[in-house]
Amino acid sequence: MSEQAPPRPARRSPEGLYTHRMARWIDGRLGAAKFARTALNKVFPDNWSFMLGELALYSFVVLVLTGIYLTFFFDASSNRVVYEGSYEPLRGVEMSQAYRSALELSFDVRAGLVMRQIHHWAALLFLAAITVHLARVFFTGAFRRPREINWIIGCTLLPLAMFNGLFGYSLLDDQLSGTGLRIVYGITLSIPLVGTWAASLLFGGEFPGPDIIQRLYVLHILLVPALIAVLIALHLAILVRHKHTQFPGPGRREDNVVGERFWPTYASKALGLFFLTSGVLAFLGGVFQINPIWAYGPFDPAEVSTASQPDWYMGWLDGALRIMPGWEIRAFGFEIPNPFFPGVLLAGVTFALLYAWPFLEARVTGDHAEHHILDRPRQRPVRTALGTATLSFYVICFLGAAADVLASTFGLSVNAILWTFRILVLAVPPIVAAVTYRLCKELSARDGLPTASQVTMRDIPRRLRRGRAA
Amino acid sequence: MRRPRLPQVLVALPLLVTAALTPAITGAGGTSSYGGSYGGPGGGPGGGPGEDELIAEGRELYETGCSSCHGPEGRGVVDEQGERGPSLDNAGEAAAYYYLSTGRMPLANSEEQPTRKDPAYGPEEIEALVAFVGTLGTGPEVPDVDAEAGDLALGGEVFRANCQACHGAAGTGGALSYGRAAPRLTSATPKQVASAVRVGPGEMPVFGPDVIDPEELNGLVRYVQYLQTPEDPGGLPIGRTGPIPEGFVAWLVGMVALLGLVAWIGTRSPVRRTRRSEP
Amino acid sequence: MTDPQDTDESPPAATRPPSTGDELTRRGARVERTAAATFLLAMAAAIGLTVVYWEGGQPQAEGILLAVVLGGIGVGIVLWAKHFMPTEEVAEDRHPMESSEEDIAAFAADFQAGGSSLQRRRVLVATAGGACAALGVALLFPVRSLGPRPGRGLKQTAFKGGNIRVVDENGRPVEPSDLPVDGFITVWPDGHTDDADASTLLIHFRSDQDFEPQAGREDWTVDDIVAYSKLCTHVGCPVGLYQAELGLLLCPCHQSTFDVMRHAEPIFGPAARSLPQLPLGLDDDGFIIATGDFSGPVGPGFWDRGR
Repeated sequence: MSEQAPPRPARRSPEGLYTHRMARWIDGRLGAAKFARTALNKVFPDNWSFMLGELALYSFVVLVLTGIYLTFFFDASSNRVVYEGSYEPLRGVEMSQAYRSALELSFDVRAGLVMRQIHHWAALLFLAAITVHLARVFFTGAFRRPREINWIIGCTLLPLAMFNGLFGYSLLDDQLSGTGLRIVYGITLSIPLVGTWAASLLFGGEFPGPDIIQRLYVLHILLVPALIAVLIALHLAILVRHKHTQFPGPGRREDNVVGERFWPTYASKALGLFFLTSGVLAFLGGVFQINPIWAYGPFDPAEVSTASQPDWYMGWLDGALRIMPGWEIRAFGFEIPNPFFPGVLLAGVTFALLYAWPFLEARVTGDHAEHHILDRPRQRPVRTALGTATLSFYVICFLGAAADVLASTFGLSVNAILWTFRILVLAVPPIVAAVTYRLCKELSARDGLPTASQVTMRDIPRRLRRGRAA
Repeated sequence: MRRPRLPQVLVALPLLVTAALTPAITGAGGTSSYGGSYGGPGGGPGGGPGEDELIAEGRELYETGCSSCHGPEGRGVVDEQGERGPSLDNAGEAAAYYYLSTGRMPLANSEEQPTRKDPAYGPEEIEALVAFVGTLGTGPEVPDVDAEAGDLALGGEVFRANCQACHGAAGTGGALSYGRAAPRLTSATPKQVASAVRVGPGEMPVFGPDVIDPEELNGLVRYVQYLQTPEDPGGLPIGRTGPIPEGFVAWLVGMVALLGLVAWIGTRSPVRRTRRSEP
Repeated sequence: MTDPQDTDESPPAATRPPSTGDELTRRGARVERTAAATFLLAMAAAIGLTVVYWEGGQPQAEGILLAVVLGGIGVGIVLWAKHFMPTEEVAEDRHPMESSEEDIAAFAADFQAGGSSLQRRRVLVATAGGACAALGVALLFPVRSLGPRPGRGLKQTAFKGGNIRVVDENGRPVEPSDLPVDGFITVWPDGHTDDADASTLLIHFRSDQDFEPQAGREDWTVDDIVAYSKLCTHVGCPVGLYQAELGLLLCPCHQSTFDVMRHAEPIFGPAARSLPQLPLGLDDDGFIIATGDFSGPVGPGFWDRGR
């Protein structure tokens, strides 16, 4: 053991002797002073749009904390029981133990309902934050080299979060979420060749089966959150390694990063945002009722309510299922049933394109250099136009999921609404693309900004095929 | 701070939206629409002298207000455009009571679908018309229901098995095909609910006593009453139509608030650039 | 334009913020008061929260008080950060991600030195790889325990064999007179009211509704009562909405619409196949029975449904 240098006289920590000695004790065991100093002085550019990912992170933390509380009360069992608790309209009604434990949590456990509601609102906002963060990263070109790996990690976090939300609200075994599980089963069945096997293995037999709640529980509280946590950790580690991107501005170059030091200001702001985010979630959890499972009743596979929708982030998928006309492919006794096309194929293509985007863009533009300065969206008219067009496609799918509620709220024919969406979903994206493209060109011209790429929409197919050489 | 007004507005906005939405989203009425058809199992008119006066009064009211579409003696009227008003020989007292007390009849324009309105007739006049229509043929009587005696949980089970598919789990109504809709149940009285169940007005199917027996019917009407003032322990019920309003609140209240906070934090207070003397 | 400070790998110590440090300006004092007040408010709300909990709890109060606690702390911290913490702009160098050629070469050399065995012992590499691959495949087999082979279950219901009474959810058999005109009811095979795949709709249509049975199914109805599977052929939701006037079944999930008068043929929406029909008859006691299984597999489609 090396002899320690004589204690330095200056540099007392302002909090007093005890913290100073503690820090030295730890350093004696980890030797982390140099690393810690580098960390304290890491520079982060200070732009509000860089905090969107933090919103997702903090929502996830709230999800985990409230979720842990809920696991102490929830019973993921499909055994049938009779309810004799304090909610009168269900007294004497037969239901699963899972549903009963959710009722007890909501009515008979102090702070149970507010925790459950905060948890559910946090899930909705987790996904909203991911979506907004994804849009920011996309439209500013932050996925370009060297950040493709982080983009892939992010694109994986999105479906993981979506599925965890779906599994989470399906655990409660109420009528609404049970209907959703039936749809999951049907979509799984529709996969060619392996669909019936996949559905049987997932559910443990035919729908509903006695095992699905248990299995979803393991997925929801262990496997998927663990994956999400690991991926978030990787996501942040890579971000620190790369240093954050920055918008163009005075003194900002590709070979530097300009902003605030992490300590104390950036760290404090981040901590403050965590508290504020949790505060917003707590407010929602107390003030706005969400997922009133007592009103839906326990799941019965022969019953269903009108206005059955999934949580918002699955809405695009539900809407696509409604908008899709009744086409199937049948030959020689085999078939590819209708739900496969919007439910599996569209979803698959969506995520495949999302994952592939950085590589497709690099191939078309021929740009394989590192980029740390962000684009202003108006400087990349093709990318921005394709992005807004894609968004508009999914927005229309979302609206499709609300078709029956729109019909009954506004006194319209649900058939007319769906026909309208069938047309809009094809007609609107190209129009949005064209309008966005023009807008970007005009805004950049007005601002005197160069558009960063000379690629036009017409070049794309050729460049995709032949790469940079084209 | 003079500069960042926008972030403060973005934070205040969700609170304002919450306050503004509260009355609207705790249950404003919606429209509903019906086709028009009657039907149902047999019933019969009552007898007695007081009854005869009532029926006579009803006949008078009928001839003034109803016969132009429903024809003399309730035989219905068919004109060039088709059926202007259906025959009432299978309507029964229950149908008359339902349509008149909810204001769906009289219907000004037979093209339009009947919706709930203030009744055009007072309670005594409705009683007279009901008695008269009851004499026109067979049709169910107004059921004798006692909401107080109903079993709430049983009613809930009956409601979920038979009614929620069209009327929604919370009785907020729902869309049917081709512009029809199942109405909200927020203003329905026990007698109206029971009459509708036995009559099957418009697109609604008929639920006879072998499908929903009298005990179940009592429970059902009690449950529908309960749905008009349900427990909302979670807070503002935001429309009781499920995840769609929840998604709107997540974005318009939650996300707007968060974005406002982010804009407040991320904007720079006066930037201090320290200038270091060059070495 | 002032250049921000350039820093190297070991940046200098953080400088103290100018002027809003120890001596507070009037504005600084105001901000300090506000921040302190929000912290105190948070404290009060936390106490309030414990009181509410102690008194039995109330979700709205809990949520709002918790929001004030968290929000108060958050606002206080942010005000502190924005007004009293250094906000100088500094710069840090970036270096290209790619390692230098020397580093890459050195790594390659070290790896080669150790890994030459991998290249030369080809037999070992091949057999080791094969063993690991085989292990991987073997480990997948327990997945098979998760569920039964799909089998015939998807293509038949408990109505198979025929001569089975239909019963309501309480197990009561159904006579034709139980179902009024324009009425409908959900039924199951006798003894199987928990079977999720066997839920069936009995519908009593009106004589003026122009019922057209499919060829070969003329005797599948009893007294104008027809039976269809309740499971939508799209993704399997119960088709719970019967529009008696128009004679349509509407599925609330994705708005598939079926024409009851024409063998539940889909006339709108994403469903591509009719609802399977159940052949009905009467037994000796006058109760409605199923004389066979449905006309096809019920519920959503799947790859080999037609085989």
